[in-house]
Amino acid sequence: MSAIELIRLALSRLRRGRVRAALTMLGVIIGVASVVGLVSVGRGTTARITDQLSSLGTNLLTISPSGGGGSTSTLTLDDATAIAAVPGVAAVAPEIQTQAVVATSTSNTTTTSVVGTSADYLTVRAYEVWQGTFLSRIAVDQGLRQVVLGATVATDLGLGAEAVGSQVTIGGLPFEVIGILQPKGGAGFANPDDEVLVPVGVVRKYFVGGTGIRTVGVSVADGYDMQAARDSIAELLRVRHGIGTTDTDDFQIFDQTQLLAAASTISGTLTLLLGGIASIALIVGGIGIMNIMLVSVRERTREIGIRKALGARGRDILSQFLIEALTLSLIGGLIGVLLGLVVSAVIGRIAGWGFIFDPNTIAVATMFSLAVGIVFGVWPARQAARLDPVIALRYE
Amino acid sequence: MSLLRLEHIGRTYDMGHVQVQALHDVSMSVERGEMVAILGPSGSGKTTMMSIIGCLDRPTQGRYELDGTDVGSLNDGALARIRSRTIGFVFQSYNLLPGTSAVDNVATPLLYQGVPRRERVKRATAELERLGLGHRLRHEPTELSGGEQQRVALARALVTQPALVLADEPTGNLAVHQGLEVLKLFQDLHDAGHTIILITHNPEVAAVAQRSVHLLDGAVVDGELAA
Ligand SMILES: Nc1ncnc2c1ncn2[C@@H]1O[C@H](COP(=O)(O)OP(=O)(O)OP(=O)(O)O)[C@@H](O)[C@H]1O
Ligand SMILES: [Mg+2]
Repeated sequence: MSAIELIRLALSRLRRGRVRAALTMLGVIIGVASVVGLVSVGRGTTARITDQLSSLGTNLLTISPSGGGGSTSTLTLDDATAIAAVPGVAAVAPEIQTQAVVATSTSNTTTTSVVGTSADYLTVRAYEVWQGTFLSRIAVDQGLRQVVLGATVATDLGLGAEAVGSQVTIGGLPFEVIGILQPKGGAGFANPDDEVLVPVGVVRKYFVGGTGIRTVGVSVADGYDMQAARDSIAELLRVRHGIGTTDTDDFQIFDQTQLLAAASTISGTLTLLLGGIASIALIVGGIGIMNIMLVSVRERTREIGIRKALGARGRDILSQFLIEALTLSLIGGLIGVLLGLVVSAVIGRIAGWGFIFDPNTIAVATMFSLAVGIVFGVWPARQAARLDPVIALRYE
Repeated sequence: MSLLRLEHIGRTYDMGHVQVQALHDVSMSVERGEMVAILGPSGSGKTTMMSIIGCLDRPTQGRYELDGTDVGSLNDGALARIRSRTIGFVFQSYNLLPGTSAVDNVATPLLYQGVPRRERVKRATAELERLGLGHRLRHEPTELSGGEQQRVALARALVTQPALVLADEPTGNLAVHQGLEVLKLFQDLHDAGHTIILITHNPEVAAVAQRSVHLLDGAVVDGELAA
């Protein structure tokens, strides 16, 4: 018998028992919908985490002193200058940070972090300028009293595009606003838009004394190996700080990609876990199909006997029942995929990561529901195929 | 050469604690084109015998030869093939497929012969029309009278043009006039050259056949000289 004949037979059978077919499919529908839905939640979370992490700069190395920050810091501006010469280093941004009150001429004020840095900060920390310009090399070298406002600070002060060129005071000192940054959005711990940026020399001169700096952000050039750059910088700093091969470093190098990799591993595992839990629902759905098919074989014992008497071979009966189970699981699977897509679109909308359409998940869910149909359909179908026609014909 | 030949056929049902001997040392043969009645009271083993002749069942003793082939040596697939190509069954209680239209019921044996759908429907329709059921094609078994159901069953047995038609109590559930109609159909078939085995407990029905084989308690009693 051809596949088309079998499918026709199965469909006409399912049409006759619509309610039962629908209820049987429900298990598979729920199973597949939860696989599709939960996996898309997992993927949405993963996408969001990686997004936020890469908004911090994916080729970023952050160097900080291991003995605490501030004036006791062993990391100096000269270190930062030296690091800039290491092969593979594209940009270096030392950072000194303090808290200060920022005020406009109209007396709007806000307290925020004042970060003294270099012109490379924009590249290293992956910010973008919304209005005006960022600190230039000249401004940094000469220690001009210019400031670039983070998006949150600008909003807090009630400053818009027209504020570029105006004056604000930071800790009482007048500064010229030369630019406003694009908002980056929260990355968890701190709001990256709640800061103002000024030349590093200015902070050193007016706000934080000493020679130490809090961190040095290093951006590694595209195509360069992060690990190699990291090793070169570590070697340079050990030499500069006079640290012997057996001594412990007085600095730490933190690699953004490691965090990114760790985070995606974790959320990948989470996705797998969610998918795994949902597959249990799918298996339960499969058992539902098996149950109904077994009942169906009993109910249709006489029909099976008649068909055999009319010339059906064991394998005709086997394929008839198997195709019936497969039709149930496949239709259920397709409805489940649609439902799952709707659910993930709704969740994506609520959670804010949008609709993530992943053909892989759908392919896998469909294959899985087919597999469920085969695995749980084979046994009842074999029972049917093995029936002795004489006994089946006598069956009442 | 005979179409079929039974030699010392026995059929024992093993029920664990007892053995039921439904057939015992049955020998007979049927020639091509013959119309034979198998006559016997209820429980005498008629249906059992039909199952063996129809290759639905295997004898536990003896040898059964159909069309020159020793059926005992065939596997299940080959038996299914014989049922599909050579034999047409009319069962004791119609045994139409439930929830299936008259046309689809009649077309089912052709399905298992691999005939394409269009041709199946065409041949099934023609067969039903020949038996006077052209106006009942789309009716399901529950929407047909007993006589109509029996005619659908007959059409289903004949649609493949089988060499051998086996009918088990074809008039058993019918009113007298319907029974006579059905018997007339069998006579027509016989006249057209079909080989027919008619199973019945009713001597009047058996009378339409050329000869009768009498069964009692699973054994042939008289009327048939052992082959
Ligand atoms: N599957 C079975 N297991 C055990 N015994 C059986 C089985 N099938 C039939 N028998 C027994 O075999 C005997 C013959 O049965 P069979 O159905 O052939 O009778 P029959 O002549 O067709 O009767 P009826 O006219 O009532 O249909 C009966 O005694 C029956 O109880
Ligand atoms: Mg009987």
